[in-house]
Amino acid sequence: MSKVVIDEFKKVLNQLEGLHEEISSLSKKSYTDALNGFKLKMTNQVLKKTNKILGDHYKPFDDFEVFNEEDLPTNSDVALVLSQYINCMESLREENIFSKIEYTSSGSVAKIIWLWKSTKIETYPPKNVKR
Amino acid sequence: MWCICESLKTYANSSNGFKMRLLKIGFNTHRENFLYIYANAPLDTTKDSQRMTIVRPRLNDFHNISLTQEEAEFAIPFIDEDIPLYLDPFLLWKSPSLQDNSLHLLITNSFNRLGLLLSQQKEKEALELLVRASECDEVGLGNSKKKEGKRIGQKLAQNVLQQFSSIPQLKKSGFIHFEEIQLLVDNFSKDRVSDIACNFIQSFLVDFTIEQCEKHGFPIEKVRLKNLYNPKTFSFIEEETHLPVNPNSKKPIIFTPKRWLRNIPWLNTDDYFQNFFLPNIVKDEDEFPDKIKLLNFNRHNYDIVQAYTSIKEKQFENCKNDPLFTQIPITSARRKISTITSLPTGKTNNADKLFEQNVCQLMASLVYPHLDFAEEQSRTESGVQIRDLIFYNNKSSDFLKEIYETYDCTQIVMELKNVREVEQNHVLQLNRYLKEQFGKFGIIIARNPPPAKVVKNIIDLWSAHRKCILILHDEDLKLMTQVFESKQRNPIEVIKKKYIEFTRLCPS
Repeated sequence: MSKVVIDEFKKVLNQLEGLHEEISSLSKKSYTDALNGFKLKMTNQVLKKTNKILGDHYKPFDDFEVFNEEDLPTNSDVALVLSQYINCMESLREENIFSKIEYTSSGSVAKIIWLWKSTKIETYPPKNVKR
Repeated sequence: MWCICESLKTYANSSNGFKMRLLKIGFNTHRENFLYIYANAPLDTTKDSQRMTIVRPRLNDFHNISLTQEEAEFAIPFIDEDIPLYLDPFLLWKSPSLQDNSLHLLITNSFNRLGLLLSQQKEKEALELLVRASECDEVGLGNSKKKEGKRIGQKLAQNVLQQFSSIPQLKKSGFIHFEEIQLLVDNFSKDRVSDIACNFIQSFLVDFTIEQCEKHGFPIEKVRLKNLYNPKTFSFIEEETHLPVNPNSKKPIIFTPKRWLRNIPWLNTDDYFQNFFLPNIVKDEDEFPDKIKLLNFNRHNYDIVQAYTSIKEKQFENCKNDPLFTQIPITSARRKISTITSLPTGKTNNADKLFEQNVCQLMASLVYPHLDFAEEQSRTESGVQIRDLIFYNNKSSDFLKEIYETYDCTQIVMELKNVREVEQNHVLQLNRYLKEQFGKFGIIIARNPPPAKVVKNIIDLWSAHRKCILILHDEDLKLMTQVFESKQRNPIEVIKKKYIEFTRLCPS
């Protein structure tokens, strides 16, 4: 991944997580209620960007691109799809990062650094993604 | 100007293959000088015949003008009946608008002039003025089913005028709120108050009507108003002007701003009696007064009527205009949907009637303001009571526009079926109605999702005749109520969703 793609990845992942948090709280309040048009439009914009980053291989569902506004998806539908996308983004990240161990002078492990492949950009360790 | 107008009219009505419709008339400061503007589109005769069959038609439906009651500044007149509201002069008095206040002043001054004429021994003139002012058919407010009212008789008019001479306060300074007359004279009701007020400000209402016609594209015609009040000469005159006309009777129609309309006037006899007279005036040992005694008492104690009026003046903020349709509150909608879903199917314990009753009230509120409720229609066919809900389709959203254009649907019919399973004959029954104003679009509201064979039947109906029948059930009603409550989406979008699902099933 190039630096530009990594930056886009980080931005989109943050957006996905933000939307997921917001819509999950709505879903807890009323899971059968339809998500409003404005939020749905925003969600679709983020999903479009995510699909581009994930590509066919990492996309969670073959026959799903974005929500159809006319189908009135419920809060819980949207929360479910967003969580799937977050998991797939994490899978993609795992494939593109590696660890580097730094040792002390005595030979013990000082710290483990996680970096994006072929860059010097640091990242966090892989999350425990359920497979 | 006259020559241009006449030439235009001649050209428009010429037999060159196009019958043109008068769309709009511009006028300068005087109503006498007009500029006629015609549309170059031919009249759509098939749509015209369709409009004639509309259930409870309104003027905009007849002229095929997309306008919901919510959007209009005036109460949209029905073609065959009156608007069940009245002009309340108190709303003009309390309005923050100086224009409304001055119109109220005009009404009051014009009414008080009757007292002046009486004091000048011109009783005959005062009587004639009052009788002529007592009915205003052009505005079409009230409960008449024929759009025609009767003027008051001489006896009642004399009774009204008598108050100016018998009540000292009125003799000296007249009324501030002339609707107090209801509390003094028997048989003088809210419709008279409304009609008198409308007559005294008719000139303003004519201008308002022309302005609104221009704004929304209502066609207007040359008419002669035989009872137009001239505030300069304090007399009724005849005047030629341009107004929309009733397509059936060809009589002129005047629009009334909906901000002035109420079901009952703010000052009214029932309120006076229940909330003022009984708690404040009647003592325990007193005899319970009948209406005649009450009016007599009021005439002899006008200061008490004035006290009531001043209390009502202080409560002016509670005085609001009444809309033609009010949505049910959310709690009531929630209660109705839980009643509907807990009802058994069939006719056990009148479940079918309860279902119809609840769905009618709920659905009319859910789809408002996108669809204006036209009528509940019940009739008996083959011994079975059928109840339909009918809505005006004003093309107020892209979905409604599409069903208007694709299926010629000027009114939407919803057939209610409290059955466990929708059957083929239910679909065929609705299919039989799908002609004229309903076009080729209809909705069945049932209890459960339709079985596959019925779905196939409605798809076949589309394939063969391009007719669209949607079937809504309890879950759809629940979703509609939920979005009505949460306000996240419009309930009408649930119907749109069903329509999209239907179109996906149709063969490409």
